[in-house]
Amino acid sequence: MDFSLILRRFKTSSSYYISIGIFIMLVIGIASSLYYSALKIDYVWRWFRIPQYFVYQDQVEIRAQIEGEIESILIKDNKAVIGIKSDEEIEVHTVPISDIRVDEGDLISPGDILATYKKWRVGILMQGLWLTLKVSIIAIVFGILIGLFAGIARISSNPALKWSAITYIEFIRGSPLLVQIFIWYFVLGTLINNILAKKGIGQISPLWFGVAALACFAGAYVAEMVRAGIQSIHFGQIEAANSLGMTYIQSMRYIILPQALRRILPPLAGQFISLIKDSSLLGLIAIRELTKATREVITTSLQPFELWFVCAILYLVLTFSLSMFVQYLERRTQVT
Amino acid sequence: MIDVKNISKTFISHSTEVKALVNVTARINPGEVVVVLGPSGSGKSTFIRCLNYLNVADEGSITIDGIDILDPNTDINKVRAEVGMVFQSFNLFPHKTVLENVTLAPIVVRKKSKEEAKKKGMALLEKVGIQDKANVYPDQLSGGQQQRVAIARALAMEPKIMLFDEPTSALDPEMVGEVLDVMKNLAREGMTMVVVTHEMGFAREVADRVIFMDEGAIVEVGTPEHFFKNPTHERTKLFLSQIL
Amino acid sequence: MGSAVALKRPKQGNHYYFWVGVFFFIVIGVVLSLYFSARQIDYTWRWYRIPKYFAYQEQVEIRSEIDGEVERISKKDNNAVIRVKGTEGTASYAAPVSALGFEEGDQVYYGDVLATYKKWRVGILLEGLWLTLKVSIIAIVFGILIGLFTGIARISSNPALKWSAISYIEMIRGSPLLVQIFIWYFVLGTLFNNILAKHGIGQIPPLWFGVAALACFTGAYVAEMVRAGIQSIHRGQTEAARSLGMTYVKSMRYVILPQALRRILPPLAGQFISLIKDSSLLGIIAIRELTKATREVVTTSLQPFELWFVCALLYLVLTFSLSMLLQYLERRQMAV
Ligand SMILES: Nc1ncnc2c1ncn2[C@@H]1O[C@H](COP(=O)(O)OP(=O)(O)OP(=O)(O)O)[C@@H](O)[C@H]1O
Ligand SMILES: [Mg+2]
Repeated sequence: MDFSLILRRFKTSSSYYISIGIFIMLVIGIASSLYYSALKIDYVWRWFRIPQYFVYQDQVEIRAQIEGEIESILIKDNKAVIGIKSDEEIEVHTVPISDIRVDEGDLISPGDILATYKKWRVGILMQGLWLTLKVSIIAIVFGILIGLFAGIARISSNPALKWSAITYIEFIRGSPLLVQIFIWYFVLGTLINNILAKKGIGQISPLWFGVAALACFAGAYVAEMVRAGIQSIHFGQIEAANSLGMTYIQSMRYIILPQALRRILPPLAGQFISLIKDSSLLGLIAIRELTKATREVITTSLQPFELWFVCAILYLVLTFSLSMFVQYLERRTQVT
Repeated sequence: MIDVKNISKTFISHSTEVKALVNVTARINPGEVVVVLGPSGSGKSTFIRCLNYLNVADEGSITIDGIDILDPNTDINKVRAEVGMVFQSFNLFPHKTVLENVTLAPIVVRKKSKEEAKKKGMALLEKVGIQDKANVYPDQLSGGQQQRVAIARALAMEPKIMLFDEPTSALDPEMVGEVLDVMKNLAREGMTMVVVTHEMGFAREVADRVIFMDEGAIVEVGTPEHFFKNPTHERTKLFLSQIL
Repeated sequence: MGSAVALKRPKQGNHYYFWVGVFFFIVIGVVLSLYFSARQIDYTWRWYRIPKYFAYQEQVEIRSEIDGEVERISKKDNNAVIRVKGTEGTASYAAPVSALGFEEGDQVYYGDVLATYKKWRVGILLEGLWLTLKVSIIAIVFGILIGLFTGIARISSNPALKWSAISYIEMIRGSPLLVQIFIWYFVLGTLFNNILAKHGIGQIPPLWFGVAALACFTGAYVAEMVRAGIQSIHRGQTEAARSLGMTYVKSMRYVILPQALRRILPPLAGQFISLIKDSSLLGIIAIRELTKATREVVTTSLQPFELWFVCALLYLVLTFSLSMLLQYLERRQMAV
């Protein structure tokens, strides 16, 4: 065998591993330079403080409400039933047995702790994450409905439908989402809530104006996908449907849309991923989604560096797992 | 059955006018098989598509079964349901199985029950010889099979007239025969048919009349014997000399 | 013929103008309902207050800084120079001829108004608009540079380059721009400025962190365009270049990149339009671009409805005219 060939192959493979080493060094380098430069400005990293903002254990205290005497403590499975008897009444508490602070016969006054136990609670970051997801899901559902309608209107030959659709799409796509959110909140929100107040009906919370802004925003982009999807269907399909005597609505319903929707599923999923990122703007109108939750935690914990990275990583995990899912979808649609 | 009077059609593409049909008059009687011949670009497709309102004639009148299809008050979908059309490129619905392709229009347009449509559909698939492919999707069929499904799909609407626009032109040569056989059977059963084709054998054997078109106009009409043996027009002779 | 033609429902031509009318009716209806619902909540529309935030006339007064006598007024065209001679010396003032309030030989005292005239000044909204454009232009320039480098690294066979590029691109595209801006401002900005302060060097203003965030953000998207552009160039081009003895770098420089760049010009222009919209987020870190300028004007003028619509309209004008330009470019490129 040719020695130089072996040598060369060895060389390429060794340079390959060197490169990998360089990459890993680069990553470690960036991380540690961040770490040390933070130390240099006397910033104390406190990663251990972060998990509590996801879930934390809350101490729940069970207190007596009346004055009296502990009459009985019955233990059953993992629970204890504490009975307190006063002159007039009997009070019964069911508590976990882990930390009972009283005995039978004890005299109790109102407010005395009978038992405590610990309970897991969802932290503010987790709540924010959940709200981000919830808002994005509601907005994409309405966005798809709006987009379907606007997309079909966009290619209609009826000028009222078509021009309305074009106007809507161009207005939304031509202006920043932030400005749209402000218009929904400060202009339309003020209008609607003031009118509601005049009529003595309850107010609409900022959340819904935020969702409306996102849905209308996504709707314009979905409309363009729907339009492209429909126009990508070969016109022979429409002619075949027409030649069978189908009406416009029937051919849309049975022939065009089923094929078009299958094609726009992957870009639609991409739009959902964008929406998750765009929902970060809702924090600016006091909706406590992930970004806003992060800002709030920072003001209480004073650990901005950790928290901003955690926030970014949470978004990355969300969008990355979703985009893996989209790729899977794309591969599946390519097969069929 | 079909009465076409003085129709014209002009396309405008890239701001130049193309006269696809010029003052065309024709009549197709019930049970008749009419084959339309002519060189490429002579307006054959435009003619047959006008009969199904896929192209709209600029002027003239088209009456099908007593209904003026160019009248704005005509419900064109009612007329189309009575007129089957088979395309050069099959145009099967790729998201539906073969049987669903055949039963869809009877169910949604004719409002037939699913069972009835299925029974009829299976019978038609048997007639065109692909009953064993009823539950596969079109992209798993050969071109000839697809075109036979397309014929079954059109027949499922129980049309009074069938239009064929070069039904065999997109097929590999070995598959042309199976489609032509289906069409021949249909002709024998007395279906009224208008067929645009380049298959001279079919024209000679099956046609009751041949229409020859050139440059958007009908040049010559006659029986196959007349047409192939002693054509009168120079252009017809030229055309025949080039293809025979 | 396109599917749009075949989709056309028959018999609609007659009603075309009716439906055009319906469209304008809808537009007017939307505007009017906005107007009247604002009236219902006692909002007063004051459109006339808006123009001054674009440009306004300022009264400029030139006052004498010494006691003395107007010694000489030399006029040239429309400009005059006034020389005042006092006991301690002379002073000269320039003013338009029409604005003069004194004549030669007049006595003037300290603080007397020698001339008044009006001067056009740029309003805060126009300043914001300009900053928006400026920031976007700077960011796109750096974004293109970053994107070019990263895009080439992305398709390199060297894993250190390739993986670094992938990490960068995925991190940027997977997280919200808002979070990135916060990281640049609150994390990196704090770090930099604190370290600079320790070394006694001046501070970096927020503007530059904002620009950095936008440039890095854009860079990741440009990188994907560059990658796609390069990969769309036929392999044969590389092989032809290499067969002529060009190195990898030379074939990139002279053969591949010129072709790829021409192809990515249109999406690049689209990215610039996006960037203009995205720059609206910079207002959150106290950069007074158009959106932030609008918010400030709202707090002083108390006319939120007019201003938010004006703000949206300004963005629309910007993005719309740019996308017209883009279409023109695309058409010209197709002709080439
Ligand atoms: N939708 C259209 N837009 C513009 N021009 C058209 C259109 N359809 C047909 N034409 C033109 O009209 C003329 C007649 O076309 P037609 O398709 O009817 O010819 P044909 O006889 O069917 O030809 P072939 O044998 O090639 O199918 C041709 O010149 C064609 O270019
Ligand atoms: Mg044809």
